[in-house]
Amino acid sequence: MLEIRDLHVRIGTADILTGLTLTVNAGEVHAIMGPNGSGKSTLAQVIAGHEDYQVTGGSVNFLGRNLLELEPEERARLGLFLGFQYPVEIPGVNNAYLLKAALNARRKERGETEIDAFEFLQLAREKMKLLDMDPALLNRSVNEGFSGGEKKRNEILQMAVLEPILAILDETDSGLDIDALKAVSKGVNAMRHPDRAIILVTHYQRLLGYVEPDFVHVLSKGQIVRSGDKSLAIQLEEKGYDWIREAATG
Amino acid sequence: MSSHLINFALLERVVRDLPGDALNAVRENALAAFSQSEFPDQRQEDWKYTNLAPAAKLSNAWLRECSAASSPQPISALLQEQIDQTVAKVPARWVVIANGIVAAKSLRYLAAHEPAGLAVRSAAESAHLPGVVTEDVMSRFNAALMRDVLHIKVAANQAIDEPIGILIVDDASDETSVTQSRIVIELEENSRASFIELHLTAGDNEQFANGVCNMRLARGAKACYVRLQERGLQQYQVNRLTAQLERDSELKHAAFDLGGALIRNDIDIAIREPGACVELLGLYLASGRQHIDNHTRVDHCVGPATSREEYRGILNDRARCVFNGKAIVHAGADGTDAQQSNHNLLLSDRAEINTKPELEIYADDVKCSHGATVGQLDAKALFYLRSRGLDESEAARALTRAFAETIVERTPVPEVRPYIQAIVDRKLQSLIEGEAA
Repeated sequence: MLEIRDLHVRIGTADILTGLTLTVNAGEVHAIMGPNGSGKSTLAQVIAGHEDYQVTGGSVNFLGRNLLELEPEERARLGLFLGFQYPVEIPGVNNAYLLKAALNARRKERGETEIDAFEFLQLAREKMKLLDMDPALLNRSVNEGFSGGEKKRNEILQMAVLEPILAILDETDSGLDIDALKAVSKGVNAMRHPDRAIILVTHYQRLLGYVEPDFVHVLSKGQIVRSGDKSLAIQLEEKGYDWIREAATG
Repeated sequence: MSSHLINFALLERVVRDLPGDALNAVRENALAAFSQSEFPDQRQEDWKYTNLAPAAKLSNAWLRECSAASSPQPISALLQEQIDQTVAKVPARWVVIANGIVAAKSLRYLAAHEPAGLAVRSAAESAHLPGVVTEDVMSRFNAALMRDVLHIKVAANQAIDEPIGILIVDDASDETSVTQSRIVIELEENSRASFIELHLTAGDNEQFANGVCNMRLARGAKACYVRLQERGLQQYQVNRLTAQLERDSELKHAAFDLGGALIRNDIDIAIREPGACVELLGLYLASGRQHIDNHTRVDHCVGPATSREEYRGILNDRARCVFNGKAIVHAGADGTDAQQSNHNLLLSDRAEINTKPELEIYADDVKCSHGATVGQLDAKALFYLRSRGLDESEAARALTRAFAETIVERTPVPEVRPYIQAIVDRKLQSLIEGEAA
């Protein structure tokens, strides 16, 4: 589903990714871990199509298409979803409007008709209930004045409604209290599906206790330096990232 | 001093040739005053960024063909169609000023349905002529060529529920024209009314509309006022509102400028007695080579009194806009609370905004603030929306709409809000598509 080969990415004059290779297949949950500054968020942003990042080498294939040629909105419509580390507050743009516009963009791509207002409301309410979200948030401005936990739940709500083929969740667990973490994990687990892949980008092992990954990769200095199963995450938790760094250089 | 941009000999001949009526003396006085004043040009501080020369040139050409001035243009079928379509869209008690003349038909209809306490008259029907203000050069130009006055009076202690709509429409379908509209509104003690002043042009020829509205709010009177300008892209407009506020009176005003090639609006508020309250809101949306200039001035002659002002603009292409908001707190006007702000979104690096909120304070005990911002669409918000599948123009439309909504949602006359929302959405769509579209 997703094929990243020897990806090199630069922002400004700094090389952030320096030859990253990763294959993700349908039905899999991958965790990408690594210390701060290792390039985790850059990877997420590049896959979503942020234009501040300059791809200087390598390729990214998604569903057989060259992802790097596509606009961010085209990627989204194909079924790519990025859960933001810092969801953006957009005063004056209604949360329900965004959710509906996003869903309709996806449906249009698939040749489906626009969702009707009643059906949409039912769908949104059902997903919000799953995430233990206050229904009033639907009629507020996007993320404006939301607490940290509400913002992250709102990201998961969007994912749940859009039903992406590939979801990348960038530090979705950071800054969450235990209740929010459980609600978010529940939302993510509900999305696990043989046709769908999920990439969890995270600094800590904490989330992985609730959402069990099939694969764990460790990113350091712009490359994946080690891959393994979930036991790798537990090792990291015990020994810290220095152990990997030493192993990689030594 | 001389008004050298306007050919005075031509103007004088046209004014003298107008058929004699009750307005003769007003016109003569205004003509004399005009001869003593200088037509706006960019050497004057107040006109630094706005060049009225195209409107002056058009006026001279029109004055030369003075036959147009001596017999007012009848309402053409096209104009009537435009009138009918517009008034059907907004629930209000409409009166029409077509080519500077109060349309007798609309007035007759209104007279037959006039609620208690409301009097709407044209100059011909007014028992006594209302006082017209001619303190500035464009008001003098207006009065010198004035053919009619719309006089609206709300009697003391009366509340008029339905908004009073004033449709100012000019015909530019067959030939160029220059028109003067004049409104005088008197709100007597403790009366209430709301107004919608809508400016339109039918046809695509060059046209210059010079309008003035003089308001007086007596003690405790409350008025909500929306001025909406949707002229075509070949048309020039100069518009002035003056308002005198007496004790505990309140004026809530919102100005929407969406059309026009060259637009200059002045608002001139005088707070004469304590307890008065003014709110001035504005939204201007400009694209192509549109030029929209808003000047406002609030004189706090006494305190305590409150003035609040917020104007917002969205500009694309090579549009140029001007905002100048001045609050003057006169000596002794203690207890004044004045706030002004102006926010702008520039969607193109060739668009230009000249913004200048100004405070002049001569009193001690006052609370005043002002601020202006100029920015672009938030790149983070744009990416966020696009990452959810909205294309770039849809994302830009959502963000600009949110920016404009701040003003639209506070439109003081709720009856006209859906209409404004619809035309704002339409304008934003064309604005975002840009010059190429």
